[in-house]
Amino acid sequence: MKRIQLKFIIPACLALSAIILYACNKNLNKQPQGSLSLSNVATRTGVNGLLIGAYAVLDGENVPGAGLAYGSAGSNWVYGSIAADDSYKGSTPTDQPDATQVESWSLSQAATAYVQEKWSIVFNGIQRANDVIRTLRLAKDIPAADTPVIVAEARFLRGFYHFEGKKVWNNFPYADESISFQNNNLNLPNDKDIWQSINADFRYAMNNLPATQTNIGRANKWAAAAFLAKAYMFQHKYDSARTLLTQLITTGTTASGLPYKLVNYESNFNAPQKNGPESVFACQMSVNDGSSTANDGGNGNMGDVLNYPNGPGAPGGCCGFNNPSWNLANAYKTDVNGLPLLDTWNAGAVVSDSANIYTGNLDPRVDWNIGRPGIPYLDYGPHSANWIRDPPSNGKFNPKKNVYAKAQAGTASSTATVFWGATQITSNNYNFIRFSDILLWAAECEVEVGTLDQAQAYVDTVRGRAADPAGWVYKNSEYDATKGQYKVQTTPADKYVIKKYPPGAFTANGADYARKAIRFERRLELAMEGHRFFDLQRWDNGTGYMADILNNYVTVEKTRNSFYYIVNTAVFTKGINEYFAIPQGEIDAENSTGKVYLKQNPGYR
Amino acid sequence: MPKKFNGLVKGACITLAFLLSTCGVFAQKTTVSGKIINKADNQPVPGATVQVKGTKILTQTAVDGTFSIELRKDRGTLVISDVGFERVEIPVTANTSAGDISLTSTTTTLNDVVVTGYSSQRKKDITGSVSVVNVANMKSLPSGSTESLLQGQAAGVTVVNTGAPGGASNIRIRGITSTGSTDPLVIIDGTPGALHDLNVNDIQSIQVLKDAGAAAIYGVRGSNGVIIVTTKRGKPGKAQITYDGYYGTQRPLSKGYQLANPTETANAIWQEYINDGLSPSHKQYGSGATPVIPDYITPFGTKEGGPNTDPSTYALYTNQITKANKGGTDWFHEIFKPAAIQSHNISASGGGDKSSYFFSFNYLDQEGTLIYTKLKRYSTRINTSFSLLDDHLRVGENAYVVYKNNPGYLNLAGVNNANSINASYREPGIIPVYDIRGNFAGTGSQSLGNSPQPVAIQTRQANNTSNVWQVSGNVFAETDFLKHFTARTSIGGQVDYFYNNSFVYTAYENAENAQNPNSYIENYGWNSSMIWTNTLKYQNTFAARHNLTVLVGSEYINNSGRAVGAARGNYYITNPANLTVDPNLWTLNFGSPAGQTNANINSNNGTATPYQLAVYSLFGRVDYNFDDKYLLSGTIRRDGSSVFDPAKRYGYFPSVTGGWRLSREAFLQDVAWLNDLKIRGGWGKLGSISNINPTNAFTLFTSSANQSFYDINGTGSNPVQGLITAQYGNPITSWEQDIITNIGFDATFLKNKFDVSIEWYKKAISGLIFQPYTPGTVGGAAVPFANSGNISNKGIDMALTYHGAVHNDLKFDITGTFTSYDNKVVSLPPGRQYINVGTTGNSSVYSRLKPGTAVGSFFGYQVLGLFQDRADVTKSATQDGAAPGRFKYADVNHDGKITDSDRTFFGNPNPKFTAGLNIAVSYKNFDFFMFLYASVGNDVLNMVRTSTDFPQQFDAAMSRNVALNSARLVNAAGQPTNVNDPTARVANPGTKVPMLERIANFSNATAFNSYFKENGSFLRCKTMTLGYTFTSESLKRLHFDKFRVYVQATNLFTVTKYTGLDPELPGSNTLFGLDGGAYPNNQKNYNIGVNLSLH
Repeated sequence: MKRIQLKFIIPACLALSAIILYACNKNLNKQPQGSLSLSNVATRTGVNGLLIGAYAVLDGENVPGAGLAYGSAGSNWVYGSIAADDSYKGSTPTDQPDATQVESWSLSQAATAYVQEKWSIVFNGIQRANDVIRTLRLAKDIPAADTPVIVAEARFLRGFYHFEGKKVWNNFPYADESISFQNNNLNLPNDKDIWQSINADFRYAMNNLPATQTNIGRANKWAAAAFLAKAYMFQHKYDSARTLLTQLITTGTTASGLPYKLVNYESNFNAPQKNGPESVFACQMSVNDGSSTANDGGNGNMGDVLNYPNGPGAPGGCCGFNNPSWNLANAYKTDVNGLPLLDTWNAGAVVSDSANIYTGNLDPRVDWNIGRPGIPYLDYGPHSANWIRDPPSNGKFNPKKNVYAKAQAGTASSTATVFWGATQITSNNYNFIRFSDILLWAAECEVEVGTLDQAQAYVDTVRGRAADPAGWVYKNSEYDATKGQYKVQTTPADKYVIKKYPPGAFTANGADYARKAIRFERRLELAMEGHRFFDLQRWDNGTGYMADILNNYVTVEKTRNSFYYIVNTAVFTKGINEYFAIPQGEIDAENSTGKVYLKQNPGYR
Repeated sequence: MPKKFNGLVKGACITLAFLLSTCGVFAQKTTVSGKIINKADNQPVPGATVQVKGTKILTQTAVDGTFSIELRKDRGTLVISDVGFERVEIPVTANTSAGDISLTSTTTTLNDVVVTGYSSQRKKDITGSVSVVNVANMKSLPSGSTESLLQGQAAGVTVVNTGAPGGASNIRIRGITSTGSTDPLVIIDGTPGALHDLNVNDIQSIQVLKDAGAAAIYGVRGSNGVIIVTTKRGKPGKAQITYDGYYGTQRPLSKGYQLANPTETANAIWQEYINDGLSPSHKQYGSGATPVIPDYITPFGTKEGGPNTDPSTYALYTNQITKANKGGTDWFHEIFKPAAIQSHNISASGGGDKSSYFFSFNYLDQEGTLIYTKLKRYSTRINTSFSLLDDHLRVGENAYVVYKNNPGYLNLAGVNNANSINASYREPGIIPVYDIRGNFAGTGSQSLGNSPQPVAIQTRQANNTSNVWQVSGNVFAETDFLKHFTARTSIGGQVDYFYNNSFVYTAYENAENAQNPNSYIENYGWNSSMIWTNTLKYQNTFAARHNLTVLVGSEYINNSGRAVGAARGNYYITNPANLTVDPNLWTLNFGSPAGQTNANINSNNGTATPYQLAVYSLFGRVDYNFDDKYLLSGTIRRDGSSVFDPAKRYGYFPSVTGGWRLSREAFLQDVAWLNDLKIRGGWGKLGSISNINPTNAFTLFTSSANQSFYDINGTGSNPVQGLITAQYGNPITSWEQDIITNIGFDATFLKNKFDVSIEWYKKAISGLIFQPYTPGTVGGAAVPFANSGNISNKGIDMALTYHGAVHNDLKFDITGTFTSYDNKVVSLPPGRQYINVGTTGNSSVYSRLKPGTAVGSFFGYQVLGLFQDRADVTKSATQDGAAPGRFKYADVNHDGKITDSDRTFFGNPNPKFTAGLNIAVSYKNFDFFMFLYASVGNDVLNMVRTSTDFPQQFDAAMSRNVALNSARLVNAAGQPTNVNDPTARVANPGTKVPMLERIANFSNATAFNSYFKENGSFLRCKTMTLGYTFTSESLKRLHFDKFRVYVQATNLFTVTKYTGLDPELPGSNTLFGLDGGAYPNNQKNYNIGVNLSLH
């Protein structure tokens, strides 16, 4: 026995050990599964995939870990509409307390989740764009001639995301492709004005992108030009903007090659008619595409999921947010000549008020921008008073532009159910820039260079479309959800009277009048599209204009059933509230070494 | 390696030779000889100490128990002692034989052989820190989660449990050792496994290896401590069958959440408006001077006979007629009901001299007190062993198969951030459970908040399942050769396969998303771990007193897993009245393919799938003991792991421990009251990879339908595939290392009645692996785990046992354990001053890792009290939203304004100590057992108050305390007034509750502050059991070895100042002690049980 053991067992054990040693050491190289490595992605296909990925956060959603991120919605309804005079947050006063803080211009909003969500999504987009550029440089199968187009598209998106940050925070850092985790340079200071970098991105994109693209959702040369023009508008560079805007108006086309023009008003907000000739650049939304997972809305319009009526049998199902303000409804009053009441719109009788109801003329756009009691709400029948969630603070109105028609339920709306709020997710695009935007910026530029007639011409083009009775809301008529129009056009839903300005009116009344008229027109035309706050910010330019407008707004709204009736201490502070608070979490993160990289905006704490 | 091994043996031999040469030989004069035997079995007792009383003359018995000692005079008294035996004094005469002297073994367990790392040792030889768990005490609690039973049973082990059936516990061995998982390594019969679903009746023994000396041989996996479980094996002799069963009832807490009734709530809502200077108006309560409680909440605010109250007008969405419950629905007790628990366990065991077997079957059925929650578990074990070649070769296996169905109650998809427990304190009491048609009533009745309905949530989950099938075990072969060598190989592992499904019904009664189509989710996956261990052991005793054991081994571990999930919606509604779908239709095929999803999901241990990782290790151990007096032990392990880049892959983990048994020294032989005393100490290093993603070293890209796809063609439903960076790789991440220093002593004294073990330890963790908190500028990709920072734990563990007997019939055993740890963050990565820890995203910071503070410390604004009046506001630091009746925060940095830099540490959820006290008393055939557990000095955050104390959020249910005792404002004249009145002051200055308001701001509801902190200390009577054992002759004739019946009550009382349901709150390792509607763990449970044993 012993002999056998000595001769056999011990050598056997040693041999076995050796085998194990060899085999097991080799087995320590475990490749990741279900993921691609850089070598897979540094190819033409991979870089193209990354570019698609960089578009995918335009909707402002899918912030990792953030779940339902309303604060980053691509439509900017939080910052652009409720923080301005377009709408109230809605729901009960503290449902989404972060939104309450935004709407009441709270100085302690730095700690709220909303600004953090916006910050995260913007950098998500920026780094996705940078990934395209970084990876492109490593790819071997892309001819040098093709690289500028790809870089241009990535830089367009990078410029876009920075622009979002710049609008919201002003003191916003710039991250080009050298800023990365690997380079360990993520603590970016916000001490420089980044307009030059944003301009450069858009300019590069404009100079290198083709006029038409094979995919309708891609940015083309003209989309880049439009954003560069918009950036100039924010920089008050009217000359530069005017040149571009004129080109856009005369020769601009969509990515599919359609020359820009105005279409039926509601068609801009109707899923089946998206990407028409008025859509300069939009976030492409899709539903029922296998993308929805628990607690994020997939590729649909998740950002606006709360902005539906709420109450028994209400359209969508939830949640009574983003209620248009009394102030906005009154803005649609028109005089006997069909012109807006530029100074007195908010005085006297109130549109749709039960006690002091306004019975005069209205701009027909009121009923595409605002769901009003008794007025047909798409094909859901008349808007019910019970669709208001919290009457003391919500007023009487519901949003409409993001809402799908009943006939589109299940096609333009999501039928997926494993996440919250499915019945309000739509494939309705959000237009970042539509052609009427361009016309109205051009009008502003013309005023600044003194060509008031041309300015008026642009405004009248916009008003002319609104005046087309084919695009109005009608009573006792079936709504055609495929066209965004009512079938029987005999009984307008209210007393719609709208006209162009009398010839020469701008010249006759001077530049100040023209400016006022154009600004008013922008509000009427682009209401509830997330632009109003940033327009006020742009027009303010250090003058206190914005604080005056918004504090006057609050003073009157406090006396009505509105957000400000409940939150009656809200004050817009000049020099502070034109921009939002830098998220506390980011300040904590960037400055945790003790060195201050990221500075809070003035006035916030 | 073989070379190294040879070197080791050579070294040991030289050392031994040296030691041997120093041993003198006594002259033979006036000697006495004899033989020491064990009274129990008449076997010789080697190594017992024989001493001449009053002198320093002593000797030890030889292997055959014989001794011979020089008296140096004619007569004397010999004192014979040995660990584990009663001390004996015997008078002797020189030059005679003392004959056989028998020793009676004591009740101490010092001679017990316990299983430690890859080997076993006599308890008295252990030099590392090892807690031996009293399995009998541990088993005395009914539980579906075996790890929860360790609470209070082992010094140094802190366990926090939940009341949910089958819920997981937090186990921390010697404090918080990591910011990720602190789960200890569990080794079951030599194979890594999980305690959670182990049949507690199968357990033979449990040892907890706490320090590096004991655990370093587990190297990379040992840093959180190691729990060694040995399951039962058959014993030679007649076959034995046992049955252990109990049946009982669990009682919900009688207290529940203390919420306001509908009238109090409505009045408080009116007060909210009045405090803010507004006219009250509410869909349900009208708009008058005082609120009116309606008869119907749908149609809202309607009185009896009002419009649309005729039952014939009932319609699910547009007129779901619902009467107000004016008395208030007690939602807590609508969802918590008495529930049954039962367990039945049968085992059979036995064996011949060449083989043995153990077989068991267990059925556990625990209904949760939370309706429709449950744990059903079936398990079986087969352990066998065979002995061949004249016992030179032994082979065997351990196999455990378990199936369970344990659907959880959390995270119901599609429901607004609520489980039924937190819904039960958010759902207003005016809502009844059912409407007039027997359908669920809910917040769809308007202006009653947005909570989903607790009973509906639970009822709709009744048919959901969460199944796990798990097979674990190993096969082994062991051979002896060349006298002193034993080689062993073992291949084992665990495979678990899970399948769960859930149906999400259309929750028509809710305020939000009441129209969501139904949907169905189905998830499948598996995890596999394989381990192959080979060891070679050399054991020898030289010159009777030099005991040497050398062990070398290698081990390979390979883990992998994969899981998928899918969902479809729009299932055919089989009952249109209440929108339910027959569970027979719950298949993926039956749902609509539109909007379907399918994807990889995380496995049920939370790992992103698919994954694979491997560890390869070599290890060695040397134990040397001289004369049972001086003990020395050393281990070393080299681990290589696939989770690190090849350059950082290998780590070495050494340890050294030593012990000195003073009681065997001559100078202590005369100390009659001392039976045994050993001082021991050790140092060693451990590692951890439990918190690292297996692909951490790689930069990876991924594609996912919701994150990277984009509808670039504008189709509305057909997006194009896109790619995104999924994670950044960090090739320099390496081992997390723990260095543990441990000093302690074990003593047995007063005729072996007392056993004491006290240890002091320091555990320094360096290179902590976690995902750093990176600025948002990083983008969306995941940041890799990095070695970031150091943590230290210091503490004292104590265990004290007293074995007493008043007389033969009345005996008692008392065991106390004491565990304390003092946890501190020592440092963070260079330059980092802190790392925030929040719940979701980055904005809700509840805790912060900062050097000098304990992990988990609460971080936010410190509430000084409420602003009393305007003057108070004026003289205090500037604060956003400051007003009388709102919180006043501490100006920590004294800069005159409250900013984010005034946030401070205001609480610590780590207990100062925890303690367990087991008291076992037996009188004749009766036995009584009681177990008390205390956790002292831990703070908790009662986050339930974020909802119940700040009712401006949604008009949800509010606490009665807030409705009745919140701050009230009066003007100079003492009349009620509102917050805008410059003369407003708080009328009830003693209150800590801010005034009721319609809005939230920084000074009331939106800033995380110390208002939520409470004292979480508690003392709990965990169990009390009274048993009776029948011992009649007739039972014996019927082959009964044992027949015992018992009654038992658990959680009879809890002493605590905590105002919530239960201060025992599991959490993550960086954020714990948060009560956001936790499943209470202090519910009473009454059981009757029986233990039978037959042969």
